[in-house]
Amino acid sequence: MTALNRKLLRDLKAAAGMLLAITGIITVGVTCYVGLGSSYHNLSEAKRRYYAQCRMADFSVELKKVPISELGAVAELPGVAEIRPRIQFFAAVDLEGVREPLNGLVLSLPDRAKPILDDVVVLRGSYFTDRRENEVLISESFAKAHRITPGQRIHLILNNRRQEVFVVGTAISSEFVYMLGPGAITPDPKHFGVFYLKHTFAEDVFDFSGAANQVLGRLDASARDRCPELLRRMESLLASYGVFTTTPLADQFSNRFLSQEIQGLWSFALITPTMFLAVAALVLNVFLTRLTRQQRTVIGTLKALGYSDRELFWHLQKLGVAVGLLGGLLGCALGFWLAGAMSSMYRLFFQFPEFENQWWLGTHLTGLGISVGCSVLGSLRGSRAVLRLHPAEAMRPAAPRQGGAVWLERVTWFWKPLSSGWRMVFRNTLRGRVRTIAGLFAAAMGASVLVNAWMMADSMTYFLDFQFRHLLRSDMDLSFKDERSDDALLEAARLPGVDKAEPYLAVACTFRKGPREKKGSITGLIRDAQLTVPRDRRARPIRVPAAGLAMSRTLAEILGVKPGDTVTIEPIQGLRIARTVPVCEIADSYYGLTVYADIHYLSRLVYEESALSGVQLALDRDPAHLAALYRELKRLPALEGVAARADVVAGIEETVLKHQWVVIDVMILFAGIVFFGSIVNASLVSLAERQREVATLRVLGYGPWQIGSLLLRESMIVTVIGTVIGMPMGYLLTLATIWSYNSEMFRVPIITTPGTWLWTLALAVLFGLTAHGFVQRSIHRTAWLDALKAQE
Amino acid sequence: MSQTAATGNGTSLLRMENVSRRFGMGAVAVEALRDISFGVHEGEFLVMVGPSGSGKTTILNILGGMDSVSEGRVWFRDEDLTEFTPAELTRYRRDSIGFVFQFYNLVPNLTARENVMVATEISRDPMAPEEALRLVGLEDRTEHFPSQLSGGEQQRVAIARAVAKNPVLLLCDEPTGALDFTTGKRVLRLLVDLKQTLGKTIVLITHNAAIAAAADRVVRLRSGQIVEVRENPSPTPPEEITW
Repeated sequence: MTALNRKLLRDLKAAAGMLLAITGIITVGVTCYVGLGSSYHNLSEAKRRYYAQCRMADFSVELKKVPISELGAVAELPGVAEIRPRIQFFAAVDLEGVREPLNGLVLSLPDRAKPILDDVVVLRGSYFTDRRENEVLISESFAKAHRITPGQRIHLILNNRRQEVFVVGTAISSEFVYMLGPGAITPDPKHFGVFYLKHTFAEDVFDFSGAANQVLGRLDASARDRCPELLRRMESLLASYGVFTTTPLADQFSNRFLSQEIQGLWSFALITPTMFLAVAALVLNVFLTRLTRQQRTVIGTLKALGYSDRELFWHLQKLGVAVGLLGGLLGCALGFWLAGAMSSMYRLFFQFPEFENQWWLGTHLTGLGISVGCSVLGSLRGSRAVLRLHPAEAMRPAAPRQGGAVWLERVTWFWKPLSSGWRMVFRNTLRGRVRTIAGLFAAAMGASVLVNAWMMADSMTYFLDFQFRHLLRSDMDLSFKDERSDDALLEAARLPGVDKAEPYLAVACTFRKGPREKKGSITGLIRDAQLTVPRDRRARPIRVPAAGLAMSRTLAEILGVKPGDTVTIEPIQGLRIARTVPVCEIADSYYGLTVYADIHYLSRLVYEESALSGVQLALDRDPAHLAALYRELKRLPALEGVAARADVVAGIEETVLKHQWVVIDVMILFAGIVFFGSIVNASLVSLAERQREVATLRVLGYGPWQIGSLLLRESMIVTVIGTVIGMPMGYLLTLATIWSYNSEMFRVPIITTPGTWLWTLALAVLFGLTAHGFVQRSIHRTAWLDALKAQE
Repeated sequence: MSQTAATGNGTSLLRMENVSRRFGMGAVAVEALRDISFGVHEGEFLVMVGPSGSGKTTILNILGGMDSVSEGRVWFRDEDLTEFTPAELTRYRRDSIGFVFQFYNLVPNLTARENVMVATEISRDPMAPEEALRLVGLEDRTEHFPSQLSGGEQQRVAIARAVAKNPVLLLCDEPTGALDFTTGKRVLRLLVDLKQTLGKTIVLITHNAAIAAAADRVVRLRSGQIVEVRENPSPTPPEEITW
């Protein structure tokens, strides 16, 4: 090994503490990049393979009922490669040993296995056989949750009849990677499953012989960007069959969630590491500039010996490269582990036939390259200083550090009362510009990560509160297969354990305002409803207008309407007569495009007499009543679905919130590493530069704690100011995060509480004090007498 | 006093012709050298004396290819150093010059042997580091770090480093300046021995006029000008010199 490389290794060892701190920050950045980047590739690849395997449809059309023989015109549209008619209905599920009725989506499959659009992957048992008509394939997650195995029999309420079906196997499908039941926000396999019936059997039980109520389709590759136009043509072709919705793949619920998650991963894989690596580059810059200054005479000597500028520049760059390589390698290893942890978390939400954490060479190499690149960048200024050093000049003592007053001294009312200690602190902070700016930047980045973490936690808590404690207040929602009369309300009110029953009417319609239109639905409520209480954005209750709509803010923005405007509504079912109605209020909701109206007003609008789609119930707390209620509900064939609010909230708490706290802990750890690394580096560099000064203070009688307090004050000033600067940055980062996740169907509120800012500041100070512990130890250990004798 | 020194006997290894060196500009310009002309003969031990600020360090830096001139020419054999590019100056320093500094300038975290290796690894025809250290009497201290050596020992390591490159010329900047009297004489003896055994050309600058007695030729400087050049036909052995 050459003598210069030995010198390099010993320089690294001598500065191990500082370099480890910097390496820590680099490692965090690369871990984020490799972890998030690998997760992005894992999910993207799993999605691509799964969609190809199941021949995922490019669009679906939901309608009332269409003869299959009439679908030829759709199949022949230019750009349409293939269509598949399907029967689909929601159904209640009656399992023995499970007291509550469960929810299911029933879909038809060909009697014989063949490649179809939105195909299934059979995991256990087999596809349908010729032995029985009433065979069923059930979704794997539902089967697992209830320990259902092939060969068992269960009951489904199909077309108002309790029907026994034989479980021939379990399956999954790419159209339900993210499987949501009615009213749910997170997958709830205990309460919702998908049930695949033979097409001929489905035709029988639903009286759909030769008909379908859903058309799936695939487009030619060249026609994919014309999907909206083709869907409009299909809608007009099928208008007489009662088209409810047309859904391109981009808007398909499961695909949307999955694609948004993938896109979010990519955004974070770019943003988060950039923050950390920028801090690392700055901090490394401070360190290496100091090292060059410290080794000025050595560098001059080496030049005098005949080392070229290029050789010495590369010698110093090697130090940066070493730090970058170490941080990069550690980051790659930890990033792979992080991706594995994220894969485990994703398996709770997304269902794939195969989903493993893979080793993506490109991602790892890029992470390593970025790490080394960032370190080289951080080392450039210090290394380039070498080029400027003339050998003769390097032999002369360095020019004394600039003295003179700093600008703060002009603020005499502040400056005059300061002790000499505080004056030293402020002068050092203001004179060491690059070091101070690096410290401020690092503190700002750390603070913005903390603010982001707290705000996301507060936002989710507020979302749950708003949605499930203020807006939706029922204990249970019953939905009927067909619209019922007021008798259903009376019947529901008499069920065991029911304290209160309120009706609702859901009317699916198209909203139009000028050239803009959007499909959605209006929920009719009684005027003083207590179980669904529309709210404004401050969670104040809004009274449902007597005549007019209370429209969700998101839908109002899509249509470009405000209170006082009118919109045209065209029901998708029934008489389908367009009506112009006023928008009276804007209601806020973070889920769906909800629109509310008075139930009687809505009934009149759609020419119905006192119709209801379902009933919301408030229950007493008696467990015996609850058991009796479930028994009764199971006997109601007209019931299409039952949703218990407690189950929805529990599902969110079990999945989203629990993992959110893991994520928050990791973010706090990362922020801590940034604070810690930056403060330790800056303080130790400052200490190294001021050894003579420190030694002189010791001779004068200062103790190590007093000297430590000078450095602590400097680092706290930078930490606190940097944290305060970082707070609005964190707010903006959270806005960007939320914006990337928000969609028409799901929005996260932007919430800050005093706790957000206080906790951020408190943690920043705590990290600063912890980092100072190491610095204080160094002060205690410094041989200050030697420092007085030492020459640089 | 004549500004042009007699070149003396022997081949000129280095020649300065009408060299001036100014630092700074305008009202704050400092003229470190004014119209200097002299030569260094091959194989001689040349001592340049003068008080602080007389320009001797500037001359040494220019001869060592570490500083440029404002006017004039500097010849190394038949090559004009003032026309050299930075890369050529680097090569000149690497292949032809051995430098000894007043404060040794050793690399603190390299051992004595490694400090010598730092020079030999880039030299075309170096001596073995161990041999160089043996020449200066430090064969038993090769694995010691500078902090474990006395001032005199550190200076001897620095001399070993300079000599190990097998340079044509040794340039010594106040090599005894940081040493006590006894150690300083030992170092001076070492330099004289190197000149005699290895035939090195040595240029030594010092403010200590007593050391001039050991030289073959003495150049006296004051205020950036040569005030005297004197041959010394009978150099005094370093042991007999006192200051």
